[in-house]
Amino acid sequence: MLLAIAPRITPRSEPMTPAAADALLALVDGTLASRTPAMRRQFGVFLLVLRWLPCLRYLRPLDRLDGARQDAALRWFQGHPLQIIRGGFWGVRTLLLLGHYGQPAVGASIGYTPSTDGNAVLHARARR
Amino acid sequence: MRERDADIVIIGSGAGGGTVARELAPLCAQGVRIVALEAGPKLRPEEFTGREVEMARRLYSEEGGFLTEDRSMSIAFGRAYGGSTVVYTGTSLTITEPTVKRWGVAGLEHADLLARSRKYLAQNRVHLLPDDDINDNNRLFEQGCRRLGYRVEQFPLNLDGCRGAGLCNLGCPNGAKMGTHRVQLPEAERQGVTVVTNCQVDRIEERAVVATVGKAAVGEPSAWEPGEHRVRAKAVVVAGGAIGSPALLLRSPISQGLPALGRYFTCHPALILVAQHDAPITNYHGHPKSFYCDHFADSEGFLLETCMYFPFTTAKSLTGFGVEHARMMLAMDRLQMILVLAIDPPDAGNRVMLGTDGQPVVRYRFTDGVRRSLVQAMRASARIFFAAGAARVHAPAARQFFIEASDAGRIDELIPFDGLTLGTVTISSAHPMGGCRMGTGPADSVTDAWGRVHGVPWLFVADGSLFPRCAEINPYVTIMALADRVAERVRTEWPHLKASRS
Repeated sequence: MLLAIAPRITPRSEPMTPAAADALLALVDGTLASRTPAMRRQFGVFLLVLRWLPCLRYLRPLDRLDGARQDAALRWFQGHPLQIIRGGFWGVRTLLLLGHYGQPAVGASIGYTPSTDGNAVLHARARR
Repeated sequence: MRERDADIVIIGSGAGGGTVARELAPLCAQGVRIVALEAGPKLRPEEFTGREVEMARRLYSEEGGFLTEDRSMSIAFGRAYGGSTVVYTGTSLTITEPTVKRWGVAGLEHADLLARSRKYLAQNRVHLLPDDDINDNNRLFEQGCRRLGYRVEQFPLNLDGCRGAGLCNLGCPNGAKMGTHRVQLPEAERQGVTVVTNCQVDRIEERAVVATVGKAAVGEPSAWEPGEHRVRAKAVVVAGGAIGSPALLLRSPISQGLPALGRYFTCHPALILVAQHDAPITNYHGHPKSFYCDHFADSEGFLLETCMYFPFTTAKSLTGFGVEHARMMLAMDRLQMILVLAIDPPDAGNRVMLGTDGQPVVRYRFTDGVRRSLVQAMRASARIFFAAGAARVHAPAARQFFIEASDAGRIDELIPFDGLTLGTVTISSAHPMGGCRMGTGPADSVTDAWGRVHGVPWLFVADGSLFPRCAEINPYVTIMALADRVAERVRTEWPHLKASRS
């Protein structure tokens, strides 16, 4: 389910490779492992809600919808009148962002290349 | 369970516990046995990698994402040798006199706190960064504030040998931040204090502490073997932070008769605003937090600070998802950031409680005033960004993902008060305070003005949980000043405490 909606949360120019999917799931699993069993259960339940609630409108589960309808459904969750639904979506979104942007290799691809000697970079740019 | 004897047990090693350990350490020369129990690990220098998720897992409770009961806010606090002082940015402000007056704690004077704060400013080598170490992200904030006539000040910082890695919140890989892990704890250990890492305190009994030492995947081995330990002591100082300390006391029989325990929790709820410039700026190279603006603290109840976060934290802080979100993230080297913090009021209903598993649960209700402050803070930040030349701004509560510079005149309209929807907007806090507030009696407080728990002469609290209201500034120096008072009281009363053991 997470992999099905990951491209809607963090769009990429190319399809996700199996290695990237594994890296994403490893980060998500690692974070979930540090949470309480109750929170992990709630997360599992919310994934079911996220998958099946769109059937009421689209007659298909979320992972079987096309991209535009997935976006529409996800925006509906994001702005839902009930805070518990909005919060659940926020959690799923946050985990997917973690799974993508938490990968060190992704940092460089978005222009983030920190250095332990950041001042040297700073001073060099100031001299240019 | 292993039985142990000590004279003084300190629980926690952050700004509070580290200070108490250092201040009581001279007693070791008289044969007093002092142990400091820290839940987190003591990392080796090479284990400060600067990698975002890895360091969040090593140094923070719940990776920095501890959620409030209704999931509307996450709270970040450290869990390491040095506590949160390992992961703050080192901003070193002293509490103001009006704030101490608002606290209204009989026997607690601003002059006393200021004198003690100055001692720690010196001890922690606090100074202002030289101009050429200030990057564009910070400089643009200052310029924007000045152009708008907003009062803006440079942060004093507790750094020694800073090389501008910009990774303060992930633990400085250069060891340049003068937290308790670098200053107070090593000196306390040199004088004979034992610091036990990976040691989670489960409960406090009558003049005893029950704790569990775990095995950690990283860091130096704990001073004690894994397993459960019961430590008898003549005095106990609790400094587990504004969430950990109330939770620990609530788990202990001692909580009977303390109706205010856990209550009046405040935390400076915060949001991150991000602006995009047309050309790259220096932002993640150099210290991330050089300036703050308290221009609106009294009138609108918010503070603004410069900040620069890492990819995941930045992504999480943006509202929404999809193409616009990804487009913003692709421009990390063109982003300018502002952290807005609300000055939240003390509310007995905002509290630390225990879940069914005995772990802390924070119940926090956003007042209308705090919501209003956050929205006004977003508007002010957007003005600062545009005054500094930003091309577009992302405000988490705005009607649209980007506010373009051409719409700078419509900021109030585009960031409406009803845009701050809990559960949609990412709200975080790194300043948990209160829960064991100081005061005169147990009806509305937990300790006296010197951190002693009402009705329990051998039990003290020495951390941010003592704050009766929020600090209205970054709190660590004030925590050290209060901990210094607590240590003084323990020292002064040590002959009596030593003799009165049951």
